Amino acid sequence: MAEDYVIEMLHITKEFPGIKANDDITLQLRKGEVHALLGENGAGKSTLMSVLFGLYQPEQGKILKNGKEVAIRNPNDANALGIGMVHQHFKLVECFSVLDNIILGVEPNKMGFLQKAEARKKVMALSEKYGLRVDPDALVSDISVGMQQRVEILKMLYRDNEILIFDEPTAVLTPQEIDELMEIMRGFKKEGKSILFITHKLNEIMAVADRCTVLRKGKYMGTVDIKDTTKEELSRRMVGRDVQLQVEKQPAHPGETVLDVENVTIHNDQRKKDVVKDVSFKVHAGEIVCLAGIEGNGQTEFIYGLTGLSKLSGGKLTLDGKDITHESIRQRSKDGMGHIPEDRHKHGLVLDFSLENNIVLQRYWQPEFQKGGFIRADKVREYSDRLIEQYDVRSGQGSLTTVRSMSGGNQQKAIIAREIDRDPKLLVAVQPTRGLDVGAIEYIHRQIVAERDKGKAVLLVSLELDEVMNLSDRILVMYEGEIVGEFDPKTTTVQELGLYMAGARKQGKEEQ
Amino acid sequence: MNKKKLSRSSSLQSSVTSVLAALLCILIGLLVGFLVLVAINPAHAWGDGFVRIIKGGFHDAPYGVGKELANAAPLIMTGLSVAFAFKTGLFNIGAAGQYTLGAYGALYCAIMLKLPWFVCLLVAAVLGGLWGAIPGFFKAYFNINEVITSIMFNWIGLYLVNELIYQNGTGPMYDVRNTRTLNLSKNADFAQSLIPDFGLNKLFQTNSTTIAIFLAAAVAVLIWVVLNKTTFGYELKAVGLNKNAARYAGINEKKNIILSMAIAGALAGFGAGLFYLSNVSQWNPLNSTSLPGMGFNGISVALLASSNPIGTVFSALFISHISVGGSFLSTKFYPTEISDLISGIIIYLCAFSMLFRGKIQSLLFRNAEKTNVNAEPASAAEKTKKEGK
Amino acid sequence: MLLLIKYTLLYGIVLMLVALGGMFSEHSGIINIALEGIMVIGGVAGVLTLTMLPASLSPFLVVLISILVAALAGVIYSLLLAFASINLKADQTIGGTALNLLATAIAVVISKYFSESGSAKLNYSNKPFLFSIGGLELSVFVPLGLILLVVSYIVLYKTRFGLRLRACGEHPQAADSVGINVYKMRYAGVILSGALGAVGGLAYIVPPVQTWNFEVGVAGAGFLALAVMIFGQWKPFHIFGAAMFFAVFKSLANIADSTFLAQLHWSSNIYNMMPFVASMVILAFTSKNSMAPKAEGIPYDKGSR
Repeated sequence: MAEDYVIEMLHITKEFPGIKANDDITLQLRKGEVHALLGENGAGKSTLMSVLFGLYQPEQGKILKNGKEVAIRNPNDANALGIGMVHQHFKLVECFSVLDNIILGVEPNKMGFLQKAEARKKVMALSEKYGLRVDPDALVSDISVGMQQRVEILKMLYRDNEILIFDEPTAVLTPQEIDELMEIMRGFKKEGKSILFITHKLNEIMAVADRCTVLRKGKYMGTVDIKDTTKEELSRRMVGRDVQLQVEKQPAHPGETVLDVENVTIHNDQRKKDVVKDVSFKVHAGEIVCLAGIEGNGQTEFIYGLTGLSKLSGGKLTLDGKDITHESIRQRSKDGMGHIPEDRHKHGLVLDFSLENNIVLQRYWQPEFQKGGFIRADKVREYSDRLIEQYDVRSGQGSLTTVRSMSGGNQQKAIIAREIDRDPKLLVAVQPTRGLDVGAIEYIHRQIVAERDKGKAVLLVSLELDEVMNLSDRILVMYEGEIVGEFDPKTTTVQELGLYMAGARKQGKEEQ
Repeated sequence: MNKKKLSRSSSLQSSVTSVLAALLCILIGLLVGFLVLVAINPAHAWGDGFVRIIKGGFHDAPYGVGKELANAAPLIMTGLSVAFAFKTGLFNIGAAGQYTLGAYGALYCAIMLKLPWFVCLLVAAVLGGLWGAIPGFFKAYFNINEVITSIMFNWIGLYLVNELIYQNGTGPMYDVRNTRTLNLSKNADFAQSLIPDFGLNKLFQTNSTTIAIFLAAAVAVLIWVVLNKTTFGYELKAVGLNKNAARYAGINEKKNIILSMAIAGALAGFGAGLFYLSNVSQWNPLNSTSLPGMGFNGISVALLASSNPIGTVFSALFISHISVGGSFLSTKFYPTEISDLISGIIIYLCAFSMLFRGKIQSLLFRNAEKTNVNAEPASAAEKTKKEGK
Repeated sequence: MLLLIKYTLLYGIVLMLVALGGMFSEHSGIINIALEGIMVIGGVAGVLTLTMLPASLSPFLVVLISILVAALAGVIYSLLLAFASINLKADQTIGGTALNLLATAIAVVISKYFSESGSAKLNYSNKPFLFSIGGLELSVFVPLGLILLVVSYIVLYKTRFGLRLRACGEHPQAADSVGINVYKMRYAGVILSGALGAVGGLAYIVPPVQTWNFEVGVAGAGFLALAVMIFGQWKPFHIFGAAMFFAVFKSLANIADSTFLAQLHWSSNIYNMMPFVASMVILAFTSKNSMAPKAEGIPYDKGSR
């Protein structure tokens, strides 16, 4: 086709050790269109954009600008080609003024002295033209996240970029700000600028995009015209029909309430808003309840509050009949809460400790492992050896292996062994299979189901819809810090879940 | 199968690497020192210069050796102080100030209260610990960098102690004639406060070689035990290596930071007690321009030992060895500070010894590592085979 | 009173110069705890130059050359810190501490080598550095320091270099993403701190006396300058104010015995202690919103974005 493409990424393949993040992906961006890039977490969207922005070099494939092949080795090359990017995590200097942030790197100057007057004029003109309200003299640390994003956009415009990449731009915005952003994007389109819009929120795609390229697990799932498609169709392409991992499990027999969450609210001081809003639910013995949702919708903050890593702003937590709202982390642990943390490197493990020391991380103070303050090394070794054997944790030097040198899967197995073997009443598992290979995933799923069958209450947090559907007995969808729906995995579909996760639908009183 | 053997070789491997890295730093330091000697006076650089530094106290044995041991004792303690804080991820640059407070505590108990030596030592440790706990408190509750606070408290401590001792020349602990604190061995009243020497002074023909060195070594072992054998040490190390994981495991990291600094301070204070109660020297309250060098040399000692308590004993002996060696340099040819120069270079190299360590590791143990890496897939393959059957 | 002003200015300018040096380094993202050592190196290099220059040389040249030599020595010495902390990504605090210890040893070895007496004392004439206005005897470092203060302010806030430097200390990833070479800027920051710190060292030693014993180094002035820098919130004119505040106490310590203050019977130790106690109290109150560059002390790795 002799179409007018401004950027073409043809047959891009990018491999990381053990995983093909992009497998023969083609993306063609027309001049003056809003092109959405849709996919689940880990589908390869960010990798593809990093290739376009010069952060990664692909193993195969080429990039064309206006039909000519170009090499993009670093962000400077990308800038020179008129490609700008609003990163998901803003790259702004907080204690600088808005204006300083915009001109940084391309400062107008005379003999090295800054000439801000003309820069200000240009910024104000751009701000006027596209309706990007900013105060050029305000410090970035003092302005709202929405305005920070406008600063990032102005950075691209100030550099006269023609191809604008937005990496999940709406994740941090309020609904009103999202509407504004959509309007701004339409303005760019009118100006003839081309936009790549990375997202997994279907409503936004339907609202603003012209076309949409879908990725799934690193593979190209096609490009569709928005006017010829529906949300359901997009959702199906995004999550796929084929469920690969099947876990054999019997129907659940829920028993007594183990965890009772009542009206929990958590305020985030940095983002100046409630990131968890009035969340209430119960988890019973012998069932797996899954908290599903797209990353950044308050799941992490909720778990921090639940496990004691941060304080609640309001609400009450009851574990097995005991009020634990104000208990310490250690006390919650003693009361029977096991916690497989989201980030195994940050919270889950002391990477430079030996495996045995990590295995007793939650128990070293128990009488079994210490006497008068002295660690009973023989008992620790015995216990560690037993867990390694029982849970099949593989390592170079057994109990004495430095955990840093172990594979991710075995690190995770060690955490799971540690938390499960403590025999908790409630097991909180946050993304327990993140970044692991199929074998390890299967193993971990089996362990979690086994815990349920032993009568434990399990609260699972997962971003993977496959995992959610396979593992859980009950699904709660979290969106923007609220629980927007409760589902039975046997009667729902991933498509339906996808709509709720993307904020397109909501159960309950406020149903529209 | 061979788990025990493997594990022993792994811990051995890491200590061998540490020792080799330290030796490499020492070697380069000595080499640069030798070049400086050659630059200053090439004719005497070898025999009168380099060899004397290397021989250390043995140039004038047994006196020199006794001196070496007397100086090594407090150095072990300040080294332990810095090393202990390192284990909790803290940099105790305040050992000098804690040492100063310890000196005051020891001397006050000895001169004013005429208490027995072990009580004096204990008080020295308590005062030093207090002085260390303050920066720990600021770190834990105000999140102020302990380095800055420690530096401030170094100087506050120095001026405070000088003021308490000097009192415009009228202080009861102050000897106007010597412009120092009263000499403990010149007055039989203070005999009970002197650390016993059990004949060591006679053996080494000195008057300050006491059992201090053995006390210091014993404390080093004690610290090793605390760090490696107790739940407390376990917690401290967890906080030092990964504060977030420690918190996740329910460890109170604020409490541990303060405790760690308090203990580090106590060790430095104890070191001051060992020094002044052995009467190696007396405190000079008129010196208000420099902090006791023992505190800063403790940093060298700890770095050289990779913060290993037992290693601290040896690195303190080494630093003391070359500095006594430096003092035997003939001032006709060379400044005695050459040895300080050498230890300065050694610490600078230690600052990035991690780099050396990596290099040594890959150079020496490349083969061993290969087998270790292979160990995992091999056993995995075995496992699947079994399962297949 | 005149005496108090004189001492305050002399000492305050020293603290300010060195603190400005520290400021440049920290704004680039490198904690420079080696200021004390850099002062010593600058001092010994400058003083040595002073002793070697022919007496016939014009005072202006004497001043100029010795200051330049001191600055150069400071720059070279600070490169050791830059190399260790930027290229080798060593712990900046430990590297700086090592350089402090090393500096005194180097200074003593050098001064002993060059002095006639074989001690670490060097004798020199400070006459070229001094001038009087209406009975107030000042050193050339006072006007020089004030000029450098203004220049520092302009460089930091009015030039492209300053903007980029500060970006590297606050958010190196952001600087990198807009094409700024973080390593280069950090080298620049450390080098500036070497030059200013070394000139500060010379300014500390030369004006008050005609002989200096390098065994005492610079007696903690470099550490005090660090406190001044923090107290001054990493801003040039605040640093000037903080330096003068600290210097008043130091001057009081010097002249306490000869003035009305003698009636208080406070010893110099108490005056010496005050600025440290004051800055501790201020630190505790301002810690919640510290103005410290956010990325200081963290080695920048191009790989981790």
